[in-house]
Amino acid sequence: MTWRTSRRRNTWIMLAVAVVACVVAPLKPVWLDTVVLTGILALISLSAGLSFGQAGILSMAQGAFAAIGAYATAVCTTRLGLPAWAGLPLAIALPAVLAWVLARMVTRMPELATALATLALATLLEIVARNWDAVTGGYVGIAGIAPVEGFGVGWRFNILVWTFVVLAVLVYENLMNSAHGRALNIVRHDRTRAMADGIAVAPLLSAMLATSGAMAGAGGWLYAHYITYMSPQSLDTVASISALLMAVVGGVGYILGPVVGTFLLSLLGKLLPAQEAQGLFYGGALIVILVMAPEGLLGWIHRRLERKAAREPAAVATTATEAEHPARTLETAP
Amino acid sequence: MLEYVFRGLLNGSVYALLALPMTLFFTTAATVDFAIGAYALLAAAVATAVAGPLGIAAGLASAVVASLVMCVIYVLLKRTSKDGIRVALASFGLSLAISSIVLIVWGTKPFVRQTFTTVLEFGGLRVNPQGLLNVAISIALVAATWLVLQRTQLGRMMRAAAVNAPGAELAAIPVIGVQCGALVAGGMLGGTAGLLILHSSGMDFTASLGLTFIGFAAAIIFGIRSPVRCLAGGLGIGVIEALAAGYTSGMVTSMVPSLFMLVVLLSGQLGAGRYSGDRP
Amino acid sequence: MHSIRKGALALLAATAALWTGSAYAQDKPAVKIGAVLSMSGPAAVFGIPERDSLNSLIKEFGSTMDGRKVEFVFCDDKTNPTEASRCVTQLINDDKVVAIIGPGTGSGILAAGPVAQRLQVPLLGPAGTVAITDKGNAFYPWIFRIAPNDTAGMESLWKQIVLKGAKKIAIVYQEDAYGKFGAEFAQKLSKDLGFTIVESIGVPYTATDLTPQVTKFRNAGAEAIFMQLSVPSLGAAFLKAVNEVGLKVPLYANSGLAQKGFIDAAGPLGEGVHVLSIGNVAYDPTPPEQKLVAIMSKNGFKPQGWGDLLAGNGYMTIKAALNKISGPVTGQAMRDTIETLCGFETMSMGKGCFSKDNHDGWAADATVLTTIRGGQFRSDAK
Repeated sequence: MTWRTSRRRNTWIMLAVAVVACVVAPLKPVWLDTVVLTGILALISLSAGLSFGQAGILSMAQGAFAAIGAYATAVCTTRLGLPAWAGLPLAIALPAVLAWVLARMVTRMPELATALATLALATLLEIVARNWDAVTGGYVGIAGIAPVEGFGVGWRFNILVWTFVVLAVLVYENLMNSAHGRALNIVRHDRTRAMADGIAVAPLLSAMLATSGAMAGAGGWLYAHYITYMSPQSLDTVASISALLMAVVGGVGYILGPVVGTFLLSLLGKLLPAQEAQGLFYGGALIVILVMAPEGLLGWIHRRLERKAAREPAAVATTATEAEHPARTLETAP
Repeated sequence: MLEYVFRGLLNGSVYALLALPMTLFFTTAATVDFAIGAYALLAAAVATAVAGPLGIAAGLASAVVASLVMCVIYVLLKRTSKDGIRVALASFGLSLAISSIVLIVWGTKPFVRQTFTTVLEFGGLRVNPQGLLNVAISIALVAATWLVLQRTQLGRMMRAAAVNAPGAELAAIPVIGVQCGALVAGGMLGGTAGLLILHSSGMDFTASLGLTFIGFAAAIIFGIRSPVRCLAGGLGIGVIEALAAGYTSGMVTSMVPSLFMLVVLLSGQLGAGRYSGDRP
Repeated sequence: MHSIRKGALALLAATAALWTGSAYAQDKPAVKIGAVLSMSGPAAVFGIPERDSLNSLIKEFGSTMDGRKVEFVFCDDKTNPTEASRCVTQLINDDKVVAIIGPGTGSGILAAGPVAQRLQVPLLGPAGTVAITDKGNAFYPWIFRIAPNDTAGMESLWKQIVLKGAKKIAIVYQEDAYGKFGAEFAQKLSKDLGFTIVESIGVPYTATDLTPQVTKFRNAGAEAIFMQLSVPSLGAAFLKAVNEVGLKVPLYANSGLAQKGFIDAAGPLGEGVHVLSIGNVAYDPTPPEQKLVAIMSKNGFKPQGWGDLLAGNGYMTIKAALNKISGPVTGQAMRDTIETLCGFETMSMGKGCFSKDNHDGWAADATVLTTIRGGQFRSDAK
């Protein structure tokens, strides 16, 4: 079995990218900062991609889940004096539990409704964070969060971040290749059929959202120990929407889509003239990408490759297109 | 307490105007236009720049132009994908772009216009005539929308496009045209809301997404299907907000729209029964 | 003008030095200064005036300070703490700046502080949030405040309110660090100065109608209202609400609203409102401030309020520091030098003074009580 048809293909690709990121980034200090932040953002948008691409739950609360993770570890380390690693389980568990509870309630809703419900939840969480002075430090936030022992905030931390990203891709890919993944495929296309097949739809979708919540929480943990400061504005609703945007731009149907989307939009953010015109160029670029590549960048590339393969002799084409088939495509039913 | 309710009703009438476009577009295209708040902001900005009644016309015109841009984007998107969420995300991009344009052209100064300087008094209750005008305009527009939807050919076409798009196309109903029409109507309504807010409390360059959000909340509370429900939803949110401001803390008041939206959505009002099979 | 002559003399000296030999010229290599300001997002309200003020100063004095070529590099932090931290990292690593004016928000400074400490470059923050110069912060040595902090002048303002006879006072504050802090500080002062706060309500930035809040104030029997706001449209909306509800009590506002945008938006409703102001660049400038006004007007910018002033403070601090430094200019050298600056030339009212123990460069003497009369902030007699 070649790497192209390997079942962990996406993980191998991610590993290669991560290795490059870890080796090249430390060469220039300013690259390091960008690469670390991109990695953290990629983790959060992977969580958005997981919940939308797999479970069909359009979550605009991933930033809020990450914020919960960040605050959890901030409180653990600054107020309780625990080491950073002690904050990690809490950072992963709290958002997962919240996501599970939320999911039980939103799984019956159409995409738009879940988007709005999660947006409303994210807004509420932000308001709570701004006012709960005793725990979150209110508007001023929590400063002086210690970096992770032994990793600091340099190239070692970069390796840690990208390890998390590769692990996340591994989890995502395993999920998709498993019985649960196949069950989700059916649920996405025809929920009634899935229920008839005996699949417990609601718990499955809830588990997906909980996993995405946990992933986002891990991203928040990394964020808090890198910036060493956490405030309500750090991972707010704008960050949630950005995470979703990155996933959609890269292609939610593809495991690596969110990662590609994060790289693309981060690059855009750096290249665009900033200051007042920021929103104009960002919004414009967004519209252009959405119009020209409806299935995201990876979807666009996939279609081009498919078309190219279709022009080649049939024998070669069949094996190629089979191997090219990553996740499933989105609904195209009228 | 009556005073709070009264003030809430005055505010809520403008929220209803922000909610109307949501209903219209959702019923014809099953997705939402995130840029409503941006249309309102643009109308307010242009109206401040151009003096007199011409300013109002210019403001409305600019909002309509913005919604026409959204139309073009919508048509382009519909060609390549049937996914409603892309339209919503694209409209979000448009909202960002418009807010940025407003910031570039007019900077950070607030947009304010005042037409009435005297304040009317009804037995202890003071009200700016602008507030009454807001209510009147809102009710008129809601009634007009309801009439169009229920009693005219156009309205029937819109409802047909919403219920069964392929069937409507077969019946020679220009579905895309109708949906675009809903977008442009949204532009006008959003622009009107922006102008009313401009003359009431004013706004600045950060206002667009907040207004969109309130429009959503107001549209969803009693069900997104009918214009009358929008009015009820808007008034409802306005009153609850005012009561919260009067009796609870600032934190609770700012939570009102989101809390409402969350509670209503979780109780399954929106699209209950819409997702009971494979095809939406 | 004093500073131009000084600059011209320095330029002359530098040119003369160039003639005598390259070795001397190498003693004053070019220097880069960073400016991390909010030029989009809500904080752009003061971020953009800050940028404009810096640009006009740069245009006026050319790119030379003390015979040294100085280049300013700007970065927009988009009112986001993550971006602020990223901007600071980028400016120091990429552009090798030796000092940074900004970030402009309290949370931005708190996020970027650790970076400044790690990379050893001082931040000159034009923000009032008290927490940024808290000695408990590990990065304290690298943060300098080029503004009076949020408590400066508040005591004199509150004394004034009590003096004018009000005992029961209502507070409206905006929902952010600035608003909350002011409301809480007022609670503390209430015991010492002998007044009661009958209501204290927080409002979000984007509130469209504030009549319920004003109604609550009226029902509570407020004899005066204190506005802890910095968003001009919010201030104007509040004044409209006060007018509509018909509550006729004296209105006092903290320095956040001392901006042209507030007067423009409030219109005739602003008459008689008392506003504590950080300087009074836009309407009633003192002689040092007039210099800044002249420079801005000459270069095509209109002074807006305290944003312009604080950026000017930053520029003059950097200038004074560069004048004083003798050896190579590094972040560490800049930091050490700034700590020795006191009473240096500024374009603001009040004295600019730093020391090892005090990184708050400006104090209450940089503020002035004003009243809005005829559409302008007129400074009250001191």
